[in-house]
Amino acid sequence: MQSIYLSLILFLPLIGAALTFFIKPREIARVVALVFSVIPLFITAMLFSRFNSDLGFLQFQFAENYTWISSLGINYSLGVDSVSMPLILLNAILCPLTIIYSWGEHKDANQYFALLMILQAGVFGVFMSLDFFLFYIFWELTLIPLYFLISIWGGPNKDYAAIKFFIYTHVASLVMLLGIFALYFSTNVNTFYIPDLLRAFAGIDDVMKVAIFLAIFFGFMVKMPTVPFHTWLPDAHVEAPTAGSVLLAGVLLKMGGYGLFRVLLPMIQDMGTYQGQIITIMAFFGVLSILYGTFAALAQTDLKKMVAYSSVSHMGFVMLGAAAFNVISVSGAMFQQFSHGLITAVLFMSVGVIQHNVHTRIISELGGLTKKMPKLSFIMMGGFMASLGLPLMCGFVAEFLVLTGSYLTLPVYAILAFLGIVATAGYHLWALQRAMFGSFNEKLGDIKDTVSYEWIPMGILVLLIIYFGFNPAPVSDIFQAASSVIPGVMQI
Amino acid sequence: MVNDVTNIAYLIVALPVLAFVLTLAFGKKLPSGGGYIPILAIALSCIISIMAFLQIRETGMPIEISSHWFAVLNVGIFIDPLASVMLLMVSFVSLLIHIYAIGYMAHDPAKPRYFAETALFTAAMLGVVLADNILQFFVAWEIVGLCSYLLIGFWNHKPTAAAAGKKAFLTTRVGDVLFMAGIVILFFNMREHVLPHISGQEEVYLLQFKTIFENIALIPSQQLTLITLLFFGGAVGKSGQFPLHVWLPDAMEGPTTVSALIHAATMVTAGVYLVARTFPMFIAAPDSLMVVAYVGGFTALFASTMGLVMNDIKRVLAFSTISQLGYMMLALGMGAVIGAEAVGFAMFHLINHAFFKACLFLCAGSVIHSTGTNDLREMGGLFSKMKITGITMLFASLALAGIGIPFLKILDTPIGTSGFVSKDAIIVEGTYVFAHLSHNWIPFAFGVIAALLTAIYTFRLWFMAFTGKPRQERHPHESPFTMTGVLSVLAAFAMVFGMLTFLPFLEFVGHTYDHEEIHHLAVLGENTIIDHHELHHIVGEASPIIFLLPVVVGVGGLLLSWVIYNRRWISVASIGNWKNPIFAVIARRYYQHEIFIELIALKFTYGVLALSAEFIDRRIVDGIIDGISDFVVGAADIVKKVQSGVVQNYATATVAGVALLGLILTFLSITEVI
Repeated sequence: MQSIYLSLILFLPLIGAALTFFIKPREIARVVALVFSVIPLFITAMLFSRFNSDLGFLQFQFAENYTWISSLGINYSLGVDSVSMPLILLNAILCPLTIIYSWGEHKDANQYFALLMILQAGVFGVFMSLDFFLFYIFWELTLIPLYFLISIWGGPNKDYAAIKFFIYTHVASLVMLLGIFALYFSTNVNTFYIPDLLRAFAGIDDVMKVAIFLAIFFGFMVKMPTVPFHTWLPDAHVEAPTAGSVLLAGVLLKMGGYGLFRVLLPMIQDMGTYQGQIITIMAFFGVLSILYGTFAALAQTDLKKMVAYSSVSHMGFVMLGAAAFNVISVSGAMFQQFSHGLITAVLFMSVGVIQHNVHTRIISELGGLTKKMPKLSFIMMGGFMASLGLPLMCGFVAEFLVLTGSYLTLPVYAILAFLGIVATAGYHLWALQRAMFGSFNEKLGDIKDTVSYEWIPMGILVLLIIYFGFNPAPVSDIFQAASSVIPGVMQI
Repeated sequence: MVNDVTNIAYLIVALPVLAFVLTLAFGKKLPSGGGYIPILAIALSCIISIMAFLQIRETGMPIEISSHWFAVLNVGIFIDPLASVMLLMVSFVSLLIHIYAIGYMAHDPAKPRYFAETALFTAAMLGVVLADNILQFFVAWEIVGLCSYLLIGFWNHKPTAAAAGKKAFLTTRVGDVLFMAGIVILFFNMREHVLPHISGQEEVYLLQFKTIFENIALIPSQQLTLITLLFFGGAVGKSGQFPLHVWLPDAMEGPTTVSALIHAATMVTAGVYLVARTFPMFIAAPDSLMVVAYVGGFTALFASTMGLVMNDIKRVLAFSTISQLGYMMLALGMGAVIGAEAVGFAMFHLINHAFFKACLFLCAGSVIHSTGTNDLREMGGLFSKMKITGITMLFASLALAGIGIPFLKILDTPIGTSGFVSKDAIIVEGTYVFAHLSHNWIPFAFGVIAALLTAIYTFRLWFMAFTGKPRQERHPHESPFTMTGVLSVLAAFAMVFGMLTFLPFLEFVGHTYDHEEIHHLAVLGENTIIDHHELHHIVGEASPIIFLLPVVVGVGGLLLSWVIYNRRWISVASIGNWKNPIFAVIARRYYQHEIFIELIALKFTYGVLALSAEFIDRRIVDGIIDGISDFVVGAADIVKKVQSGVVQNYATATVAGVALLGLILTFLSITEVI
């Protein structure tokens, strides 16, 4: 008998979206949206508690498999393993919190919530799909709700940002699709089932292997995003409504990293003579993203744009950890995805509150906000400290694992990555100093502090960040199991 | 052996953490902003620390507990003699400062936040002390950094306070990154060179102090030098050594009680403790120990010159802290010759310094509290108004200046203030013995000249504040009993602690490291160290002038100060004016602000790196993307007749295409099922 839990997690938000879409009164729409995003959280939590992390490479749990188009070998095939389980949990946690945070949304609230839930479903689908074709459909599905979120609820320059986001990532996805088709046609397994494709990958000739790898890699690089393919991200963030930014940085970027672990790392062992070059490319772009993102963040005048560049820098750690290709670094990179999802959500929510209550995010126009917004300052400080890598918060665990692991196999790149740490602390503290501390900028007038539906989700996130900083084991053990079964990865 | 303290040792840290949470949550509703919660918690921590101390002294065995944390890491508690004296000092001095703060902070509306943060500060420092592995040490060390940021910037509505907090965090962060790199490289070496030898054992954690110390011999010596230098980089940041000392003088932007905590009980001593804690690694890397000695000695001298010209009472004390920490580092560096004895001397000075420096800062707080100014030039003649503060500060100043009686020893114990006893030991038994054996007198000179300058600036401060004519209109008054009581206790410690504990302290802390083991490690580092008896022999044969010199410069400095700042026989203005180039350079603090803030931080990091990254991003990286997009749109315009040429339409078409594809495939699958 097949399990049904994953399909439930996947389709409940879609059903919720459909219901929400047709319920005009926002008071009802938001409750429906919340209910249909909380139920998947409960199911996910239950799966998480039953999850067995001792299984080997490509051994999936709670799997479902239905034939879809047998002539092409396309199946509706879902499953989770230790690579995907914590990310599904992350998505399940972030969505209800984002919906609570958006409780006060007035403009077409029903459509807004419906789009958020489609986004959630799309991300669930990406993390669960074991069929490459299905994976691609969900991958593309996530673009549509975010495109509308930006172009309808976005800021003044929303049209440019929305279309840039859409076309940029879509072109990258098409390159990835070419890679997927090339992979499908060069192996003769006649299936899109990812485990089978990965097993058959070794048999392809070397040049084709590299071409396939790079095509798929390009798709993931743009999504993560990796410098120099990141410029769509700051623009999208600046214009996107807060909830869109939270989910974009919190889970959508994670799809790129997830793809890296799910599909590309298992291929590295089979790359033969090209293995070294591939690793060098990954490490180079990883470190480039870390440093470039950090210094670009330091130069930003818009608080939200600064947070966007901090994402670029933090996702660089994911790439670097993956490139170092040992258990410590890879599990650190996976943990970085999880932890960055929680941290960046707090940052974007905090900035969202400032945007909403102060009506500007330009750092030089703020100043002394702690006086008027003590609650927000407290939570925002928590988020900023986590983001700059303070120990006992989950970001430190991830960065420490990535740096320690990277030094084992890529010492030069690890040392370069160290250089960014002081500047990372620098832009966070400098922004806090100018925006939150000092004397209050009286021109801003009377400002309200954050309201309960905003600070409760932010507070929950900060508590989770601290919890996983103190006790990373529930998630990091799973990731360690995941990285230790990737073929060819250096064991510790 | 089952014993009680081992099972409750975690409470030493857990209680102040609990106090942090409770004060933060309920402080507003409690009297004194909930300040009694941390006092109670830290008092209990202090009692448990005393119990731990007694147990270790009795059994001679360290207290150890360890359990798995995550991945390849553990958490644990390790209390040996070194850690136990540190625990006693931190909890006791922090307790006194908290009691004092009840009076000092009485009128501040943000008391709950203050007491919560100082409780966390104390907890973090205690966490540093009893960590059983280097990563846990680092974690607690970073929380210390966070608390200093929060507390220095406590009055964050003041722009200067916000800036000082940031400066403290960032400057120490430079050191922290080096420290973290050291840990990463240590892990690499432990894995490469040590793990193969011990992989059979169960429950091995590569970053645990015990595992590291037992296997130092397996780590290549070049790597060991690199690791210890990186660790020392961390210590330079936290302990305010040159060139990362720049944050400490600004750290006085916080409440004075915070300064007392930072300068005496927590934070700055962490760096010295780090070197003492990892001393077995340093002894096997003598080059690193030499760096420690020179940086420490230079800092002792360098900072004392700036102490001479500051007019802010707390700034003078801040530079004196930097200078005294330099002495501690200098003492540790002397370990290259005198072995583990150096740890005893450094720690002894650390603890004596904690008492007299806490006393000095709290006295300064008492003065500021009653006069409402930090500026020494506006004070004067305070002694008649504030007798207790004046006398306690005098005692602490005598200790800082290292005043004592040379040659006189009762039961082998030198007679003098605690600062005299410990500083004398560093200069004579440390730097002199080093000079005797290596014919290198530079560390000795650092120690002696800095001692002279220390005595001058210390009494300059005291004479300017307490003697002479009152130079302001205010009506100073003595502080309440919670404040003066604490001052009296600390002043008593500053006077007699050194004499009372000299021999037992060195004996007890001397048991931290096995001397034969240390000897063995020194040989490994191609270095020979002398043992206890040889040390005594060399000191016993030393010329009387060596013993006389530290006292002579101390008393001489005092008299010089008296002549200039009390009698005013020499005009201050004739030396201390801006036309004197030496004065100008020192008073501008050697242009550190210009170099660190304006040149490195603003011009280079922001002006060059950040702005060019931003420029490249907008103009080049994104410019290319926009260029491609324009090209495509332009090309589409040309073939408009065939295509619509609107990018949005392509996007829509693509979405529709994907959706259609999905639908067709679904349809196909349904037909197949049928």
